[in-house]
Amino acid sequence: MFSKEKESRILLLSYTLPAFILMGLMVIYPFIFNILISFSNMSLVHFKDWKLIGVQNYVQVLSDPNFAYTLLKTVLWTVLNVVFHVGIGVSLALFLHKNLKGKSLFRTLLILPWAVPQYITALTWRGMFNAEYGWINLALSKWFGISVPWLSTEWGAFTACLIANIWLGFPFMMVIALGGLQSIPEELYEAAEIDGASWFHKLRHITIPLLKPVMVPAITLGIIWTFNNFNVVWLVSNGGEPSDKTHILVSWVYKSAFTYFRIGYASAFSMLIFGILLVFSWQFIQKTKATESVYG
Amino acid sequence: MRTFRFRWLGWCCILFLFYCSPRNPHRILVWHSMRPAEAKVLRQALGRFEKSHPGWEFRELYYQNETARTNFMISALGGSGPELFWGASDNIGPFMEMGVIQPLEGFFSPAFLDSFISEPIPACIWMNGHLWQIADRVGNHLCLVYNKALVPKAPETFSELIRWGQKIGTDKNHDGKPDRYALAWNYTEPFFFVPFVGGFGGWIVDEANRPTLNTEAVRKAAQFIFDLAHVHRVIPLECDYEVANALFKDGLSAMIINGSWAWGTYLESGLDIGIARIPKIDETGLWPTPMVSSLGYSLNVNTKGEKREMALALLKYLTSTPVQLEFTQVSKCLPSRKDGFQRPEVKNDPIILASIDQMEVGRPMPVVTEMRWIWDAMRPGYQAIFTGQKTPEEAAQYMQTLAIQLIRENRE
Repeated sequence: MFSKEKESRILLLSYTLPAFILMGLMVIYPFIFNILISFSNMSLVHFKDWKLIGVQNYVQVLSDPNFAYTLLKTVLWTVLNVVFHVGIGVSLALFLHKNLKGKSLFRTLLILPWAVPQYITALTWRGMFNAEYGWINLALSKWFGISVPWLSTEWGAFTACLIANIWLGFPFMMVIALGGLQSIPEELYEAAEIDGASWFHKLRHITIPLLKPVMVPAITLGIIWTFNNFNVVWLVSNGGEPSDKTHILVSWVYKSAFTYFRIGYASAFSMLIFGILLVFSWQFIQKTKATESVYG
Repeated sequence: MRTFRFRWLGWCCILFLFYCSPRNPHRILVWHSMRPAEAKVLRQALGRFEKSHPGWEFRELYYQNETARTNFMISALGGSGPELFWGASDNIGPFMEMGVIQPLEGFFSPAFLDSFISEPIPACIWMNGHLWQIADRVGNHLCLVYNKALVPKAPETFSELIRWGQKIGTDKNHDGKPDRYALAWNYTEPFFFVPFVGGFGGWIVDEANRPTLNTEAVRKAAQFIFDLAHVHRVIPLECDYEVANALFKDGLSAMIINGSWAWGTYLESGLDIGIARIPKIDETGLWPTPMVSSLGYSLNVNTKGEKREMALALLKYLTSTPVQLEFTQVSKCLPSRKDGFQRPEVKNDPIILASIDQMEVGRPMPVVTEMRWIWDAMRPGYQAIFTGQKTPEEAAQYMQTLAIQLIRENRE
């Protein structure tokens, strides 16, 4: 017979063990294996007979001028996306937080881009960006007499991916901000109103500081997701077209791994991306003290 | 109480063990990239085969070309995957090098293998002395497809096509682009560019399968396609596979360059189509040379024992003439068995005859692994011509350098 304490330990273990096993199989083992093959020559022709080759893959990635360029582009992609996601999301949340007629209808409509599968949204945007038959250019040429070669130029394709991802991303920030806004006590606004505070003052001194604990983790997640957002870039630009110029780091890693089958090189590349995101997230959370309220 | 606490753990273990139990040992799975109409024929064939083999299950699963290839490599290396893989013969090089398929020559009699065609393209794919794939169709090549309601007779030469295209390509609604294009196709994809390299007297690999991309033929072919879009305005300025298909189906393009895999969908949409050779290049007097390959079945390296016996029996059935002709009826693809070519439904079909006619000027697609890297090397350089980032001269040089680099890096 087990003692009460032992029984409770066994129970605790039985609750957590499945999660540990799954995490071990799905995350820890692949992660360690990825580290190992990042030091190997694993490729299409050395898939079974791969061997360790030291830091050669890391040197190759870091000495490739494309790495720095793609990294900068990825940072630009992330910053622009997150700025628009948060800007549009919070603005819409502020708008929906008011007592509006048909509020629930607006809320449902604005969440729709998030509800539609990314794959479908991205391909629909790709069609809409076609230079000759997409409705964006048809509208631009009808109203302004201009036509933009969206998908056939480097920055045109980048902008197309950006617009598609902004469309996909703002509902998440809106929902989070809306939740945060609902948790701000109404009394604070009433007190500020009695003190004669303007709308802007209330926003600056009540809304933004009280939204911060909710928004900072959401922004951190948003940055990580956007930095690693493979789907939109890949589908809208049709695998990095034109001329492999529309890549962010993860889409390039995917291409290296599953088109070129340079597995060792791609693993080293992915470890560097992991390092960048780890350092960034750590610093961001430290600086913004986002988890303080949670951990006390 | 304790019994209750631990009961759920017991159930979890049972479920886990059930999930981990080996797959149905009497199920044969076929992965393929067939279009819906063809997939339906495959399903029907599997259904019939299942009826005659009680106790066995036969299933098919569709993946898009690239995904099928990648997923098959990964799953077969991991010790699983489908028993049979259906795809183009250019998969064979990488599959063989990775050791994910097994040789087939020991399982079939010479008489059976002799019943497949070997000219102009072999239906049985041999490499390094072993047989790796048996085709259920050959060709898979590009042809000129024309909408008979708009083009009564296909143009013989490109100058004819351009003249005619400019006549029909007026801009009546003044939106800055022709109301209808003479031709549309996925011209920024290297596979769809290659026929024109042949039309200018070149090819993308030599006899030793080394890349030959920095040549006059490649430069001229690229410039020629660029001019069709930007100078003659007979093809759209921006066109991928889906756009080209949509334009053709909607009657906004009178012709399209596409392969037999798509013809079934045109016929289904009610289009009255004709097939012809891609028009001759006036400057050289040569016909463009599309790549010709075969499509067929390979056996997963992990398929052993009675499953292998059954998978091979299925392979034999799926490559039999009657089944091949069912596919031919739906998609107008060319059968791979000699006797299939003698059947009236093949001999008397104008679309199939035109497809054979195009195949005669095509060139076999090399099945070596190097082709993968050559395709990958061509894409960025070639596409840069249409974005104005590279001249055809610069692009040709870039493609060649990148192809050599990719081959070297991957062979290291």
